Amino acid sequence: MIVALDGDMVFADPSLVSDGNSLYVAAQVVQNLVQLQPGTISTVIPVLAAALPTVSTDGLTYTFKLRTGVKFHDGTDFNADAVVYNYTRWQGYGKGDLQDNAYYYGAVFGGFGTSSNIASVKASDASTVVFTLKTPQSNFLLASTLAVFGIQSPTALKAASADTTPLKDNKYAEGLLPQGQDMVGTGPFMFKEWVVGDHITLVKNPSYWDTANAAHLDQITFKGMGDSTAKLQALQSGGVDLAFSISPLDVKTAQSSGLAIIDRGASCNQLNLDLNQSVGGQPTIYANKSVRTAVAEAVNKSSYVDAFYSGLGKVPTGFMPPATLGFKAEALPAFDATKAKADLTAAGLTADQLKIDLNYPSNVVRPYMPDPKGIATAIAQDLQAAGFTVTLKTEDWHGGYVSDATGGKFSMYLFGWTCDWAGADNFLYTAWFGYQDGKPNLQFGWKNDAANALMLKALQEPTVDAANADWGQVQDALATDMPAVPIVNSTPPGSMTSKVHGFVGASNGIEYFNTVWLTQ
Amino acid sequence: MARFIIRRLLVAIPVLFGLSVILFLFLRLLPGGGPAEAILGQHATPQLVAQISATEGFDKPLYEQYLTYIGRLLHGDMGSSFIDGRQVADTFLIRFPGTLELTMGAMVFAVGLGIPLGRLAARHPNSWIDAVVTVISLFGISIPVFVLGYTLAFVFGVQLHWLPTFGQIDPRLDVDPVTHFAIIDAMLAGHWYVIDAVSHLILPSIALGSIPLAVFTRITRASVIDVSNEDYVRTARAKGLTDRRVNDRHIMRNAWLPLTTVIGLETGALLAGAVLTETVFSWNGVGSWVVTSIQNHDFIVVQSLVLIFAVIFMTVNLIVDVGYAFLNPRIRYS
Repeated sequence: MIVALDGDMVFADPSLVSDGNSLYVAAQVVQNLVQLQPGTISTVIPVLAAALPTVSTDGLTYTFKLRTGVKFHDGTDFNADAVVYNYTRWQGYGKGDLQDNAYYYGAVFGGFGTSSNIASVKASDASTVVFTLKTPQSNFLLASTLAVFGIQSPTALKAASADTTPLKDNKYAEGLLPQGQDMVGTGPFMFKEWVVGDHITLVKNPSYWDTANAAHLDQITFKGMGDSTAKLQALQSGGVDLAFSISPLDVKTAQSSGLAIIDRGASCNQLNLDLNQSVGGQPTIYANKSVRTAVAEAVNKSSYVDAFYSGLGKVPTGFMPPATLGFKAEALPAFDATKAKADLTAAGLTADQLKIDLNYPSNVVRPYMPDPKGIATAIAQDLQAAGFTVTLKTEDWHGGYVSDATGGKFSMYLFGWTCDWAGADNFLYTAWFGYQDGKPNLQFGWKNDAANALMLKALQEPTVDAANADWGQVQDALATDMPAVPIVNSTPPGSMTSKVHGFVGASNGIEYFNTVWLTQ
Repeated sequence: MARFIIRRLLVAIPVLFGLSVILFLFLRLLPGGGPAEAILGQHATPQLVAQISATEGFDKPLYEQYLTYIGRLLHGDMGSSFIDGRQVADTFLIRFPGTLELTMGAMVFAVGLGIPLGRLAARHPNSWIDAVVTVISLFGISIPVFVLGYTLAFVFGVQLHWLPTFGQIDPRLDVDPVTHFAIIDAMLAGHWYVIDAVSHLILPSIALGSIPLAVFTRITRASVIDVSNEDYVRTARAKGLTDRRVNDRHIMRNAWLPLTTVIGLETGALLAGAVLTETVFSWNGVGSWVVTSIQNHDFIVVQSLVLIFAVIFMTVNLIVDVGYAFLNPRIRYS
């Protein structure tokens, strides 16, 4: 089977990557204590753990009972010592190449070494691991499903000196070692080879521990293909069996060619129209709540969904995708051009103040933003109808847009987020509204100390339920203040030929191939 | 001759130095923050940007970064990618064979078809044959490479299923990348895998070779017509030599001189410029690497590759100039 990815892997050691291509491959080979139920984005199931962990009432201790009889691809045993070795290894990553690349460990646990929120990881016996945290961490379980926390064979890691820096001299990370010595996990597929810039080959693990879910395919080849037209043609010609992503603009062409569009279920992304209340220390017109409300009422979101998402998008009902853990539906302003005009009039802006810029990125297609210019143009027309005079402005996504948006240089702009993990903290705090260095995030200039305190409290709640209650209040505050207008939740389109069966899609980019088989 | 070569090599030094300075400044003065922001994307926080900038040296003054870069370059170290940490030289050695293979395929197509077409048109000047050849060459030079590439892939890959549309070889075949020349590796692997490798080369070679094809056709036509009107050709014909003998010994031998120059220049240009073709056909060469490196703001890779392209282009030019002297004894370099 040949699977087209959007690009090449970066490293063969999943603990050192944060890109989707590397993690997509690694997820077939390396397994975690807990993972997501295939096809879902927030349902956690035990994998190398025999069951979900028991958690102490103070939320500081997580005890995992492990499966027994599981072996790594190099034939060594998976056990509690292996888990301890991996977590200790990541926590001990030194400054420089290792820490710079191990983004997710730092992001989830607050740093490395003594800065990490993990106080200790201990094996109480061969099949029991106890994690002790310094402070409760409500996202601990969900974030633990990230493929970067896949358990690799300590024997293979030690033999390959997998912590060698600089990474150009690290044969394990570079994927240069032969089968059984590189990317050594416990999954249904084993790493065979990586031809840099061209393809990665995985082969079936004949001794997979979970015989009921062993792979049907003998081999999968992942081929990096950045060009969307080339990907579509490769699917149409039968050269590629499945493409992780295709352009939303190609969905109809793919369907008319007899290709199937992957059902990715619930969305794990959101596009917003961000309204920055303070640019360069000066308040903008969006500091006026009536203006923000008018904007929210002026935009006809369902028309954008119909026009640009080929049936793969929905109008948001809150400030993150509905399947996200901790989601709370809010009564967001509905499209009402008349009310928008009235609210804008009530805001009492001068003609000069009604002249606004709407920024959108160029030279990029994001899963939540398939046609940035088209969407921005449609929004601009709706805003004009409400009484604004809109000037569209654009910058290259890679050439200034992201840094200008996050640096607070735009007042109104399109921006979105695809989940790292489908938790409220990932959308609301990490991506968007959390204070930075004790000050409102420059992206929004949204000052709400109570909401920020609630977010910090939610992060440290001992239980997920307690955290979700806090996140619910944060979402209420957002709906009241409207620092951004949610535009769409989409599922990024992928496609496959009619030969492919048993594939279960998920919108967070974590999909497994052990259930897949091909017909002629 | 030796003095000529040495002088050309000495002239290359300030050219490459100037190019390195311009590239270095241009790439770093692009809008959009530095490479740390590019690496982190939407995950960029001021703390992480500062951390990566410090460890990678992005926070140092530009002149210091340049001196470090040029110092390493003089020691033969072209630097490492910011993204995957690999040495540029190592990745270049993996990817360049792909580009070289594609260039050779394109040149075989362009020379193999362009010169006979040019000769044919020259033998029937201002006839319908000449008109058809002119249209073909105009088509080749006018149509954008990516349009031709997608069209070829659609017709011969999607519709007819005759030829593959991406890559250098079916990645499912058990072919070890020993030399990174897909055809040679396929031959080493046996099992007639070489047929698969050649079939992968056909469409990108046609797409990439379309412009050189047009150039060679036009140059051949013009050159053959020019030489055909020379006195010595008329004399040869008057002496009763056969058409074939006149064509081979008197016309083509002289018509080859301008063609050699153009073939050399086009080869150099293709080696450095197969960017679009490699992207359209997901070809694992240097051109597609440039594209991803620019997208990732991987400055060290981009500036090193452009310098390599410049060296290749200058070397090919030098070889062409030297070869010209051997082909044409009337030329003397001083």
